[in-house]
Amino acid sequence: MMLQLVAVAFFGVAAVAFGIGVFRTRSMVRSALSLLGAMVAIGLMFLAMEAEFLGVLQLMMMASEMTIMAIFMMMYMMDPGGLSQMEMTHQKRTSVGAGIIGGAGALVLSFLTPWGRIVASAPAPGAQLHDLGIELMTRGMLIFETAGFTILVAMIAATLTAIVRQK
Amino acid sequence: MITLWVALAVGAALFAVGLYGALSQTNMVMIMMGVELMLGAAMVNLVAFWRFLHPEVYAGQMFVLIVMTVMALEAAVGFGVATARFRAKGSVEMEEATELRE
Amino acid sequence: MTVLAFALLLAGGVYLVAMLEAWTTTGRFRPLAPFVRGFALLGRESLVPRQPDRLFFEIAPMLLLVAAVLALAVLPIAPGAIGVDLATGALFVNAALAYVMVALVMAGWGANGAYSMIAGWRFLGQLVAYSMLIVMPITAVGMRAASLVTTVIVTSQTTMWNAVTQPLGFVLFCLAAMAVCFLPPFDLPVAPGELAGGVMGEYTGVRLLVMRLARLLLVLTLAVAITVFYLGGWLGPLLPPWLWTITKTLLVAAAMLGVGRFVPRLRDEHLLAWGWKIGIPLALVNIFWVGITLLVVSP
Repeated sequence: MMLQLVAVAFFGVAAVAFGIGVFRTRSMVRSALSLLGAMVAIGLMFLAMEAEFLGVLQLMMMASEMTIMAIFMMMYMMDPGGLSQMEMTHQKRTSVGAGIIGGAGALVLSFLTPWGRIVASAPAPGAQLHDLGIELMTRGMLIFETAGFTILVAMIAATLTAIVRQK
Repeated sequence: MITLWVALAVGAALFAVGLYGALSQTNMVMIMMGVELMLGAAMVNLVAFWRFLHPEVYAGQMFVLIVMTVMALEAAVGFGVATARFRAKGSVEMEEATELRE
Repeated sequence: MTVLAFALLLAGGVYLVAMLEAWTTTGRFRPLAPFVRGFALLGRESLVPRQPDRLFFEIAPMLLLVAAVLALAVLPIAPGAIGVDLATGALFVNAALAYVMVALVMAGWGANGAYSMIAGWRFLGQLVAYSMLIVMPITAVGMRAASLVTTVIVTSQTTMWNAVTQPLGFVLFCLAAMAVCFLPPFDLPVAPGELAGGVMGEYTGVRLLVMRLARLLLVLTLAVAITVFYLGGWLGPLLPPWLWTITKTLLVAAAMLGVGRFVPRLRDEHLLAWGWKIGIPLALVNIFWVGITLLVVSP
């Protein structure tokens, strides 16, 4: 229990630190890889909270996704190395205010709500994997199929948007 | 109970950082990074609720899978849109996207 | 398994893979050559390029090493001799191998040179081509074992190896494994003639030693992965189980290192086209085939 609390707190602080680092650095590839650090910390939080499949899946997917984000940053930004000290933000006070209000609202809600009884132990990872699979294939089949269909539509949409049409 | 509060506090902090980023950045890819942080915060909250309140109900984990799928999809479609925009205009800065303004 | 035994296994495996690689290039067995080259690299001067991204430049070789070691830690050498027995072992191998790409992109970007940067982005293109081909055959293997635990995957092959019952998946996984550890003909990131050494071109001295060591360890990890998933791991009649694993691993590593010398290097667009237009439909056919045989043979 204590180890879990320490692990969740440590990885949580690491995630927030990497998240802040995304917007403070001027180098674009460092920004994308700092976001990867935040996602890895979130994945390690999942592993600390005994959701093993989700943690491993998060680690695997976010490595590829954030590196692809890095190459797109390099393609589309005017200053990928961050050496020219350009100002890249606008409406700073509005966004800081919105961030603080949103975060404080979520924090207040999470401390004031009566959550009920805390369950002490979670199922073993092998049993979790098996039951999650059964749940996906029986009760969650409609959701799963809809997600698959959405993935296909998004793939076609992204390819058609990015392709160069022959005029 | 304390671990649940710590996880929810981390989720709130990540959401705040993501919201700040999504509203303050001028580049489309950086805005997408802010949105990814917000979705990550939602996933942290979901896993915390699953683990500490209802670990025997796997609908929580399924919800996280769907959110992960949505993260990947909106990144993909967003990059497609960014590519098309870059080809049409030469930059993806949101400050320069004023064609529809009167 | 104790840490010391694991480290000795890694060291011995890396030495043997280094000798195999030297044999495929020169044709002779020279037992002291890896040590001589290693010490020579330690003695050379460690140059840092002008204005590098210092964080990435230093982290990349170590991240490559860590990714290879993490992937090897969940693969079993003998019944009971496994680093960490995860319930999602087969998926964790994929997750660890994804960080190979992060390490190479960091190495390419951090060195502040055109050739290494292009090599890093080329490896990203290679990843887009091979990543589905790494995951889908593992899905079919997991279907047969009804579990993602690596030891269960090995024991599910007692009747017949997976390479025989799922030949299509075996071929695709071997090709994708060669692409992961950027062996020829998929060695665009370190193309020796074309990109002046590519990703490893700007590294010298100790860092180059770590990167080469990490690459040999990656080849070893993937050879063990192919053995565990497709060639029955430690299963075999006469010899002790760990000897079977080591023999099969070395044969697979020799094949992986040797085959590529006879085929010209593949360009990124050809690799992407073949990977997506031919590889992914074949991987789906493989999953379909395995599903049908599992439903028909053992209902």
